[in-house]
Amino acid sequence: MSALDIIGVRKTYGEIETLKGIDIALESGEFLVLLGSSGCGKSTLLNIIAGLAEASGGDVRIGGRSVLAAHPKDRDIAMVFQSYALYPNLSVHRNIGFGLEMRKVPAAERDRAVREVAKLLQIEALLDRKPSQLSGGQRQRVAIGRALVRKPQVFLFDEPLSNLDAKLRMEMRTELKRLHQMLKTTMVYVTHDQIEAMTLATRIAVMRDGRIEQLGTPEEIYNRPATLYVATFVGAPPMNLLDTVADGGRLVLGDNAALPLPQAWKDRVRDGRRLVLGIRPEALQLDAAAGPAISATVEVVELTGPELVVSASIGRQRIMACLPPRSRIAAGQRLTFAVEEDAMHLFDAESGLRIA
Amino acid sequence: MERRSLAFSVFIHMAALLLAAVILAPLVWLFVMSISPAADLSAKPLRWWPQTVDFSRYALLLSTVANSAGAAFTASLRNSLLVSGMATAAAIALAIPAGWAVSRTPTVGWSLSLVIATYMLPPVALAVPLYMGLSALGLLNTVFGLALVYLTILAPFTTWLMKSGFDTIPREIESAAMIDGAGLWQTLRIITLPLAAPVMATSALFAFLLAWDEFFYALLFTSDQRAKTLTVAIADLAGGRVSDYGLIATAGVLAALPPVLIGFLMQRALISGLTSGGVKG
Repeated sequence: MSALDIIGVRKTYGEIETLKGIDIALESGEFLVLLGSSGCGKSTLLNIIAGLAEASGGDVRIGGRSVLAAHPKDRDIAMVFQSYALYPNLSVHRNIGFGLEMRKVPAAERDRAVREVAKLLQIEALLDRKPSQLSGGQRQRVAIGRALVRKPQVFLFDEPLSNLDAKLRMEMRTELKRLHQMLKTTMVYVTHDQIEAMTLATRIAVMRDGRIEQLGTPEEIYNRPATLYVATFVGAPPMNLLDTVADGGRLVLGDNAALPLPQAWKDRVRDGRRLVLGIRPEALQLDAAAGPAISATVEVVELTGPELVVSASIGRQRIMACLPPRSRIAAGQRLTFAVEEDAMHLFDAESGLRIA
Repeated sequence: MERRSLAFSVFIHMAALLLAAVILAPLVWLFVMSISPAADLSAKPLRWWPQTVDFSRYALLLSTVANSAGAAFTASLRNSLLVSGMATAAAIALAIPAGWAVSRTPTVGWSLSLVIATYMLPPVALAVPLYMGLSALGLLNTVFGLALVYLTILAPFTTWLMKSGFDTIPREIESAAMIDGAGLWQTLRIITLPLAAPVMATSALFAFLLAWDEFFYALLFTSDQRAKTLTVAIADLAGGRVSDYGLIATAGVLAALPPVLIGFLMQRALISGLTSGGVKG
């Protein structure tokens, strides 16, 4: 049974359409990440699911029941806000138990539930404190605890980790994943961080300008991006995009650089068609035997630790490659990169759509 | 703190002392006048410090013998407390829902601007219509009538103050409470109002002071001990052929005490920063 159905949801503010028809169906226990840059409508969509904003059209169903007319408290959801939104005047214990208190759960039962959640999140020692006496990470845990304690059907997260520093963010990310594996509750998570999306999601919806660009598993998003936008949004450093023109079974990249057109695309691409060739930096190899090769002039070499990021130029086009850190490469050097055929992505230059 | 030279520290302290002296000098002089014998106050050259300390005026003003100056004064003290108290309580009671509504619904902000605009009208312009209105309602020379008039002055002011107070409370906190299942009233009572307590106290204090110090309307709309407020009563003291400056000063000292007391009581509530910690930063 699907836990959450979003059917043709639209949202307009006056003339401006921020959501242009969103359709997503989530199975129970899925972890959906809404990924996009700011202003793409992902937070609006989350607020519509939560009932904090009204949809201009379409329907939202939780557990098969339409909830658009229901008050947020009656939707069987819990939400974790970007700013945590803890109640500053109440103790941590009461913050976590507030939802149960409002639902008139007896004090003893409430206390047991709060302590259970606190134990799970390792914040038992903080229960008597006020939010102002907590660190950022601890506040985040309290905010998650407040959502957990109610055992809702769907969890909503609105960029919950974006206020934490990098190290803490990684820890909490792992923790969230662990929680999801343990609780197996349906979760909807909004973020603009592609690493969070890739690591947490069972499915990612990449959003842009109020539309879903691609909805798929992290592997699909990474390995078969449907559009140029998705291709550049996921992955760091981003996918290399090279302008190219098909010509006699070759992809011409510049004055004297070209790659053979992979067999699979031969009958789909006419000569003279303007295309964009996408190659992930990590798909480029130094081993010339690995596949078709292109040569480039190295401009900058950056060692990040686990890998060597090489920026190079092919004629007037730039290309980045992530190579093993031991590679001996210097600026100015002429290198030959090999690419496997199935690591090549081909997009139409005008529509930006993937050529299957 | 950064290091400072001794000379700079001395300068800072001197400046603070000077500021305190400038602010406190009139109050000190008021008190000195209130305990000086009448002769000292009219002596030439002026005696800055009384030869004998005389507290008899305090006894005179606080006596409750019928038809005495004391009876008039204590009646006006009671009236002032009643009028200011009622007007302030009503103004806060109005300002909480009104300020909250405007803060959370920016599209109706124009209505508050409109109300604030009426605030710009000089009291003189409103005096005649208000007088006729109160007269028609039979509220002239009553504490209720005066409190009602003061409410028209205080409510826009407190609403505006409360609105800016509510603006600083993140809406997400209320959204969270809503998802947690709290009704509007519960959200206000348990979450929003405790967070708005400092600004509520500030509004109440300023509203009370505004009502306490009001003179013009009080002079127009009250005529005897049943409703006359302190400001009018003090003016009456100066109105006769012979003005006892010492008596006026004594009345001034007594009139200043209640607001000072309230200020002290509210000091704790006035400490802001209670909202820190709920959201990031």
